[in-house]
Amino acid sequence: MELLDRYLQAVKQHLPWQRQDDIVAELRANLEAQLEEKEGELGRPLTKGESEEWLKQLGSPLHMAARYKPHQYLIGPNIFPIYVAVLKIAATWCTIIYFIVNLALIFTGTPNLTAVAEALIRVPWILMTTAAWVTLIFAAIDYGVSHDYLRIPALTASSSCWSPSDLPPIEAELVKGKKARSFTQTVVEVVFGFFLLAWVLLIPSNPWLLWGPAVLVWKQSPYQMGSVWMQFYWWCVALSSLQLGWRCVELLRGTWEKKRPVLQVVIKAAGMIPVILVLAVHDHATVLLKNPTLDQVRYGTTLDVINRSIYWGFLAILLITVVQLAVDVARMGLNAWRRRMVSMPERQGLGTRD
Amino acid sequence: MTVAENLFENLRLELRRGCLTLAVLAQLRQEYYGYTLRKALAERGLDIDESTLYPLLRRLETQGLLASEWREEEKRNKRFYRLSSDGELMFTKLLEEWRTINASVDATLNSRV
Repeated sequence: MELLDRYLQAVKQHLPWQRQDDIVAELRANLEAQLEEKEGELGRPLTKGESEEWLKQLGSPLHMAARYKPHQYLIGPNIFPIYVAVLKIAATWCTIIYFIVNLALIFTGTPNLTAVAEALIRVPWILMTTAAWVTLIFAAIDYGVSHDYLRIPALTASSSCWSPSDLPPIEAELVKGKKARSFTQTVVEVVFGFFLLAWVLLIPSNPWLLWGPAVLVWKQSPYQMGSVWMQFYWWCVALSSLQLGWRCVELLRGTWEKKRPVLQVVIKAAGMIPVILVLAVHDHATVLLKNPTLDQVRYGTTLDVINRSIYWGFLAILLITVVQLAVDVARMGLNAWRRRMVSMPERQGLGTRD
Repeated sequence: MTVAENLFENLRLELRRGCLTLAVLAQLRQEYYGYTLRKALAERGLDIDESTLYPLLRRLETQGLLASEWREEEKRNKRFYRLSSDGELMFTKLLEEWRTINASVDATLNSRV
């Protein structure tokens, strides 16, 4: 039967070459026996339409051949969870390293928007290349493990390589139903953190980034910023870098879900330092006149209003931060006390049970 | 196919998958070649597609559960399969497991009536 021969030839093309003759010979024997029986029941050969219908029921040659192949996936279920975890970490770190390198290149050269835009446009390609490499490596590992070329006990027996005692404790916020910080949220925070840091670092050489068109008016005005603002600026840069660095460490360690109230309090407290620096300036003179001898009479009153406004504004910020800090510390203390109260009966129960 | 039908089909296939292996092992306590095995199972109410059964025989043989040999019958070379000694042990274990599951499901069903 010509159609059957054509079908088997098509199946053969999709079979592994080492076994294709053997498989096709067996398949031919089975299908010919089936065909003979069908024709015996009908008392005549099958018509072309009937043959087509019968072969269609067997499934397409590609489908039939695929069932004989043992390895039908790139990355199997055994190592897939590890692959996903590695993919996330690799994508995150490649993006972070890429941004650091680009920031360094931008700042060591002439900072301009075109370089920043070009660096941003390349991000999706970096991510795709990273994903492709990780996938390729894991596909090779999976192939090696499934064909016994590779033995990696940590991968194949990963389900037994953990201890329940190592699991992080249940956090009070989670129990209350509040959502933990997700991986995506943390990555977004890191990426935007880098953008923010880049923006802040670009401000001294490109003041328009902060002031916009008002920079032209400011340049022509009789006022200038006092030296305290540079101290203020570098404190802000240092604190932003610290926070960003910590987020990166959390991503690397996979602990982004963990709440760190102490660290938040410390950062908030450190955030008061630049504010206090501004408040501590003698006579609140944070903004000065370019030519005090010439302009004091004309602009002295306005300058005083500006400096007093800055002072009161920063004082308000300081007070709000102090109140927030006090609330945070009180909440931390309360949570610690609650945890102690909750664990006490459990401990007592465990003690008496024995 | 509706979503419910699709879901049913997926669950049905999942349910059948393990049972088919057990049925094939059970049937191959006696020697068969592919087509006659398919007919024998169909006669007992278990209809298996060619594209499922024939590759399954190969897989079970690769796993050492079946032994096979090419032999001429009715002027045609055919590959005959039967349970290997490893296959017999495995079949006994699987049968025991299947009976336990079956009994548990029956007990669960009866307790809900």
